[in-house]
Amino acid sequence: MVGISSIGVHVPRSRLDRALVGKAWGRKQPPGEKAVAHFDEDALTMAVSAVLRCVDDAQAPTIDGLFFASTSSPYREKQVASFVATACDLPREILTADFCGSVRAGVSALSAAIRAVQSGAAKRVVVAVADCRPAEPDGDLEGVLGDAAIAVLVDAQGRLAAFDGGAAVAEEFTFQWRTDQGGPVQSQDARFSATHAYLRDLPEVIGRVLNERGLGTEQVAALAVGHPDARTAQDLAKAVGVDPKTGLVPSLSGAIGVTGSPDPLLLLASALERAKPGDAIVVGAFGEGAEALLFAAGEAAGPGACRPALQAAIDDKLPLPTYEKYLKYRRILGQDDTPVEFVSNVAEHREMQQDTRLYGTRCSACGLVQYPQARVCLGCHARAGLEPAKLRKRGTIFTYTMDHLAANLDHPMGMAVVDLDGGGRVYVQTTDASPESIRIGAPVELTFRRLHAGGENYNYYWKARPA
Amino acid sequence: MSESIRDKVAVVGVGCTKFGDLYDSTYEDQVCDAAFAAFDDAGLGPDDVDAAYVGTYLPHSQGGKAGISLADPLRLYGKPITRVENFCATGTDAFRNACLSIVSGQHDVVLVVGSEKLKDRPGRGIPRIGHQLLGKGNTAPGLFALAANRYMHEFGVTRSTLAKVAVKNHWNGKRNALSHLRMEVTEEQVLNAPMIAWPFGLFDCCPTTDGAAAAIVCRPEIARKLGKDYALVKGAALAVATGRPYYDPTFDYLGFRSTQAAAKAAYEQAGIAPSDVDLAEVHDCFTWTEITNVEDLGFFPKGEGWKAVEEGKTRVDGSIPINPSGGLKSFGHPIGASGVRMIYECVKQLRGQCGERQVKDPEIALAHNVGGPGAVSCVVVLGGAS
Repeated sequence: MVGISSIGVHVPRSRLDRALVGKAWGRKQPPGEKAVAHFDEDALTMAVSAVLRCVDDAQAPTIDGLFFASTSSPYREKQVASFVATACDLPREILTADFCGSVRAGVSALSAAIRAVQSGAAKRVVVAVADCRPAEPDGDLEGVLGDAAIAVLVDAQGRLAAFDGGAAVAEEFTFQWRTDQGGPVQSQDARFSATHAYLRDLPEVIGRVLNERGLGTEQVAALAVGHPDARTAQDLAKAVGVDPKTGLVPSLSGAIGVTGSPDPLLLLASALERAKPGDAIVVGAFGEGAEALLFAAGEAAGPGACRPALQAAIDDKLPLPTYEKYLKYRRILGQDDTPVEFVSNVAEHREMQQDTRLYGTRCSACGLVQYPQARVCLGCHARAGLEPAKLRKRGTIFTYTMDHLAANLDHPMGMAVVDLDGGGRVYVQTTDASPESIRIGAPVELTFRRLHAGGENYNYYWKARPA
Repeated sequence: MSESIRDKVAVVGVGCTKFGDLYDSTYEDQVCDAAFAAFDDAGLGPDDVDAAYVGTYLPHSQGGKAGISLADPLRLYGKPITRVENFCATGTDAFRNACLSIVSGQHDVVLVVGSEKLKDRPGRGIPRIGHQLLGKGNTAPGLFALAANRYMHEFGVTRSTLAKVAVKNHWNGKRNALSHLRMEVTEEQVLNAPMIAWPFGLFDCCPTTDGAAAAIVCRPEIARKLGKDYALVKGAALAVATGRPYYDPTFDYLGFRSTQAAAKAAYEQAGIAPSDVDLAEVHDCFTWTEITNVEDLGFFPKGEGWKAVEEGKTRVDGSIPINPSGGLKSFGHPIGASGVRMIYECVKQLRGQCGERQVKDPEIALAHNVGGPGAVSCVVVLGGAS
């Protein structure tokens, strides 16, 4: 059965305690934290992280589709799906598309991926959904919106969840928006939007998809529906006829915030971690209409459905020490200290395999794996027979420094020399790390991050973070 | 090895500007001040010079690029002048090339000038260079710190030992009128200074400095005729290793291969052992660098240079005085000038002209630069004419 066979999750490590937001503006905030993309993260980098967890090196060559969904793509013009596919070293022969526009985009992309596999247009499509939506300081959404990414692999097996039907409605309704002028998310009155659109459209599509399958709401094991706040999700469950205590997948908004387009898929992942094979799970998303997808949990559902386990991803965190750090990391306040560089797009093109796909060379004479790519072997000086070699993205810190002099948005900046598992030594910035976690012998993983804004463009490269 | 350089080149004159924040001097002023001092020291003038070499790492609008950087300030026209750049070994490599031009028989008298104006530049004088993505974020202290942390991890060394290098070199530099940072510091001050790149605090780092130094080299028989107290070049060797040690999986980060290779070649030319050296000016861009240098130069076994610092063996009155001038740490580090400035100090020491920081009766002095870090090193061995 066509469906979902693998899930990778990326929750950025930084957390903002809502109490810090409350303290900054002198107004009450709900308890809990929100996940905040680090200063070098955006929807593109978070999608890469999620995809690398969803698809391992052995599976990567078999992927023939990648859909990216986000309302906060770093690019208005430039496809992110193909960039993500390149950074994840997926094949060139691949169907790609970006989905955008509303927080419904994640479910739209999943729906499209399922149809693509059903139709035979593609066999194995990864859906990468990521958002880091900007909120107005001291605005109603500042404590609410959180950042996260998820990637799901859709194929003909559907080991985790088999697709069982879907339904959609579309009708213009203004709830949350950002115009082409940019700026933070704007929002219509939340209660009005809930009663007149969210609670109108979602019950309609959920009812339709269940009716088509002849299922009663009492047969729904889990309702995984994106929501503007936890209370509206409860209202929806009641409106649909699902017990909010037992049938509604608990909101993640308290722990990581309302994450937008990845939210329904994260709730689906949460449901699948607890599901028994055969459980009926409804995924839904709202935005200028609504879409619902029905799944039957597969044989692989249950603990281990998700890499890493969703709770582990949520628990892996570094608290932001102050509200001001949040303002700086999200570039809401202050100048970006990341140096502006001259960037040669010619060199970028020439080195795509080395820099973005992260390949070194392996000497066929002595076997030494070396980076960057070289003509002459560093070990045996052979001047032929050096073949491209894909580097592993895990390794151990051989040496490091914490540099206070380097121009950077955050200080001190860690720089590490990392010996990669399977060969190759790289020299990279560190990120997502408390200073004491960067030390000789520490295990790290490489993560794709925004490096600088040279050439009036974002430039991405790999950094090391504690594994 | 082909023909040795030993005893075929004499240093007949040396000159050096005050090192420091020379906001009121131009590149041209520095070149003139250093060169005129060297001419006066040798009793020669520009007309006596057959050729010249100029070492500048970072050229800018005022000078440092090509031979005109010397020709125009000194009105030294119609002669072969070559600009040398080889990272932090720029000055010593300019000197080495001048020596080779004498040994080859091409020239009789050659001027060497190292000059650098870092303080005219923003960004603490040092521009960001390198690949647009790879290694981005590196700084000079950060690059040397990679090696220092590995060394300290391997041999159990603490920042306190590093600090003792700064204390010693500032003690020497306080006694040198031309020093940039002419003051003594305590170990506590060094340890409590603001952090730059772990394990280096502010006082573990050399300053960014303006300054120039000059030397005049010639055939020994010319030096004898001049009747001046000259020094003889015993060896001068350059070695280049990888400029990307951080990508070399075989590199242990416990010492610099370029220094080891350059030292070996220079000792062979000179026909001496490391134990024959009476004083050394070594490249202490950071405190730890001096520790690895004294090992890489063979004065102490690998992993024991730090003990020599603890035991005071590298002080002016120690068994092998290191950086009696004050070193880059206190004297300052105008990159292209530093190597020639080291030659200046070595000659002054061999002549016994260094006052309170004078090493007792030295016969052999060594100058050493390493840059990159570890990519390039140049070692020059000098001896007294007697």
